[in-house]
Amino acid sequence: MIDWELVARIAGGGFGSTLLLLAILCTVIWLIGFVIQKRASKR
Amino acid sequence: MFGLYQMAFGGLTWGNILMLFVGGGLIYLGVAKKMESFLLLPMGVGIILVNIPFSGLMVYAMAEPGVIPLPASGGLQEIAEGKIGLLNLIYQYGLETEIIPLLIFLGLGAMADFSSAIARPLSFMFGATAQLGVFVVFLIAHLTGWFTINEAVCIGIIGGSDGPPTVYLAVAKASHLLGPITLVAYSYMALVPIIQPPIIRLLTTKKERQTYMKPQIREVSKLEKILFPIAVILIAGLFIPTCLPLVGMLMFGNLLSVTGVTDRLAASAGGVFIDVLTFLLGLTVGALMPAVVFLNPKTLMIIGLAIIAFAFSTAGGIWGAQIANLFLKEKVNPLIGAAGVSAVPMAARVAQVEGQKANPRNFLLMHAMGPNTAGCIATAVVAGIFMSMV
Repeated sequence: MIDWELVARIAGGGFGSTLLLLAILCTVIWLIGFVIQKRASKR
Repeated sequence: MFGLYQMAFGGLTWGNILMLFVGGGLIYLGVAKKMESFLLLPMGVGIILVNIPFSGLMVYAMAEPGVIPLPASGGLQEIAEGKIGLLNLIYQYGLETEIIPLLIFLGLGAMADFSSAIARPLSFMFGATAQLGVFVVFLIAHLTGWFTINEAVCIGIIGGSDGPPTVYLAVAKASHLLGPITLVAYSYMALVPIIQPPIIRLLTTKKERQTYMKPQIREVSKLEKILFPIAVILIAGLFIPTCLPLVGMLMFGNLLSVTGVTDRLAASAGGVFIDVLTFLLGLTVGALMPAVVFLNPKTLMIIGLAIIAFAFSTAGGIWGAQIANLFLKEKVNPLIGAAGVSAVPMAARVAQVEGQKANPRNFLLMHAMGPNTAGCIATAVVAGIFMSMV
């Protein structure tokens, strides 16, 4: 017996969460790099 | 022999004999073809050791999902008498407790260089889209009706092509399939240079593969390198706490190597420490494959599903890069997206080779290392998501 709701939650929600978390990570890492480069160029 | 003791010949089944050839084949691939030698060789030896009857190195018990290693819960005398094998002990205390895969990830973190991913943070998105195969194969595996949800997530994660998260998840969710899943995962990782190129050529035009990227990547400062593992621990840990055992170990190992003040610790973690854990993992996983466990239709299904997972993960990475190109002023070569399949560094090398075939001026290796290492983090995140959802 396939629990369609659970399957959809794992496949859709799981992939969505992965994309979202990595997008947040991407933004934060970009931001850290941006600030550090800006400070270095000011010096 | 002469009625004095029991020889193994009488206990050998055709399945055992076939598995002896499988073990021999893995040793051949590891030694002669140099395919993932660090793992395939110990695995091959492990398979041979457990398929010689009455050796007592790994003793099995019948259980609900099938045949599983006997818990090493007896007294010292039982261990000394060979009723509980040496490999039972390593399995129970090293693998069942998840110590070995997690500490291997620590060692990998110490060896990994995330500079390319830090220099081009978009790499994280390619690492994420390259997890597509994990979820597609989870769906296929479960919808065939052959596999439970727990088994399906463990088969799906092979598509992330990252060893420790695969072992970590399989031990927790479907330990009876740990042997075949680990063997298939590491074998296909070694086969990435053969599996990926046809898929890459199918999904990209020659013009796309010719896309030129400047060979240099931005220089990443030491402060960025130090802040990176801390940021990853905080973000991943706060959003998906269950991925922290894997991500935390990976990033801790990385922090040891980038600070510059713990060089000896980093060298140890990425040296003898990880080597010992790797052969213990290989040997024990090999020992999880007696004929009765390995030779069944589910193993064949896993072999077939894993290649679909690799194909979709490669496609996911490429599609991620192609979508990004719709918005980017300076286009990226979609081949670097395929490296989001985190078989480090083989997938990045494939991008490099294919890129140079299309355009000899292209030098994509450093660009591809970004998605490649980001893919490691992404697969660890997916394993954490599965741990909490299933």
